[in-house]
Amino acid sequence: MAIFFRELKANLKSLLIWSAIIALLIVIAVAKFAAFAGNPETLKILDSMPPALLDALSMRAFNLTTLSGFYGVMFIYFGLMGAIAAAMWGSDIISKEERDKTVEFTLVLPVSRAQVVTAKALAALVNCIALVLITWAVSLVAVRSYNPDSTFFRFLALEMQAMLVIELIFLAIGLLLGCSMKRYKISGSVAVGIILMTYFLSVASALDERLDFFKYFSPFKYFDSGELFRSGKLEVSYLLLSAAIIVVCVIAAYQLYRRRDLYI
Amino acid sequence: MSIIEVSHLTKYYGKARGIVDVSFGVEKGEIFGFIGPNGAGKSTTIRLLLSLIHPSSGGAKVFGKDVVTQGTEIRRDIGYLPSEVYYYEGMKVIDLLKYSASFYPGDHTQRMRQLADAMELELNRRINDLSYGNKKKVGIVQGLLHSPALLFLDEPTSGLDPLMQRKFFDLIREENARGVTVFFSSHILGEVQRLCNRVGIIREGKIVEISDIRTLQQSNYKKVHVTAEGLTPGAFELPGVTNVQVENGTVHFFFKGDINAVLQRLSSIHVTDVSIEEPTLEEIFMHYYE
Repeated sequence: MAIFFRELKANLKSLLIWSAIIALLIVIAVAKFAAFAGNPETLKILDSMPPALLDALSMRAFNLTTLSGFYGVMFIYFGLMGAIAAAMWGSDIISKEERDKTVEFTLVLPVSRAQVVTAKALAALVNCIALVLITWAVSLVAVRSYNPDSTFFRFLALEMQAMLVIELIFLAIGLLLGCSMKRYKISGSVAVGIILMTYFLSVASALDERLDFFKYFSPFKYFDSGELFRSGKLEVSYLLLSAAIIVVCVIAAYQLYRRRDLYI
Repeated sequence: MSIIEVSHLTKYYGKARGIVDVSFGVEKGEIFGFIGPNGAGKSTTIRLLLSLIHPSSGGAKVFGKDVVTQGTEIRRDIGYLPSEVYYYEGMKVIDLLKYSASFYPGDHTQRMRQLADAMELELNRRINDLSYGNKKKVGIVQGLLHSPALLFLDEPTSGLDPLMQRKFFDLIREENARGVTVFFSSHILGEVQRLCNRVGIIREGKIVEISDIRTLQQSNYKKVHVTAEGLTPGAFELPGVTNVQVENGTVHFFFKGDINAVLQRLSSIHVTDVSIEEPTLEEIFMHYYE
């Protein structure tokens, strides 16, 4: 428990910074939306753009002049930011002990390595949930002046759930990297690399039907905002796939960390 | 009862040697010195015993429990002072000590204050602001505050001034008098001789000698330098004198045996300068292999 609370405190600053970034993103984006809102000119411009480009930016599925449509396009940014934050938290919370050479102190305390990983993973999980709640809350405040209807609130709730699942996937991947990589200094960079790679896979899968199978490798595609908007729910098969990835990564993280040599 | 039992413990880091086929035992209530030059494998041995790293082959038991599978239980009764202490930098000393104490059952506040007083450690400072020596003091208090039954000290005196070193040794002797077993790793022969009952000497990953400190002292060498007018190397032809070298009117040699023999010989010469000192560990090792 002491480890959990210490980690929460130690990570508070990072949470505040990420929250500020995401809040800024929302405020700026919603301010921009003012120019699109109900403006038919916007639609004309979008129609003149190549469809492939719109697909790549997942803009074709949405009517950008409505708030829901605008938030549909925004979703990928929430997903990316949440993914990066979660992966960094997951890997850093483990690897920083080696980087700061405090691992000798922490692991000579009478706690098992599994207990250490559990406490740290829970602290990172709290951060992930907090980031989603803050994104949600800031969004609700930011869009107030547009008097959104219930469809928008339902869609926003769905997006936030999807953001949380994406965060959890990358938190698990980050944990695995932090627990397993001997070159702990680069585990954070590797985590971000994986995120960018999976993001580009999701873009590529939208560009060309022959690359469609890429979608299984990209958590961003599991919860495509266009799909979310159409179906109004998170697809069960992708939820199961996400759960499988999370479980496998977490189990591997515990196993690898238990057997690892730790030196400073 | 053996507190530490090490049998055929071997650790390779990939292809690099850590330690090879190390076996020894430490009895309850002992202060066991573990001595060897840098890179000999002292810290590797300690880290294996603390289950920070895992053996390539062989095994070790602490309190009769296996270090690989029962590390968590073992660590309840262990205090560890690493050669270099690193703590969470943002914390205050008092918060760190309380944090550490919270992992051990019971209330350790009073003992924490006593230890901090003894080591003249200011509890309200931030760890970032502390000098190397002061961080070491935090390590000492943190390692001792839960009254462990076994102490691992890895080159504990580096960074401490001589006065603090003495206080620290007094503290360790007090603990030992209460029945605490101490595993003391060092490359400074003098401090091991002052404190330990028994020593193990490790060199290039292998144990070369385990002996009583008295036995080691009797076989101990002194390094003697004598400067005098018209001195010839022949002036010190005594049993036990080796490695005689002459340089600018100064005679250097190693001596093993009753030092009074050398002193008597010196008293018959009009010397301008004389020094008798402990050889460095390396020099002892050189002799070990002659």
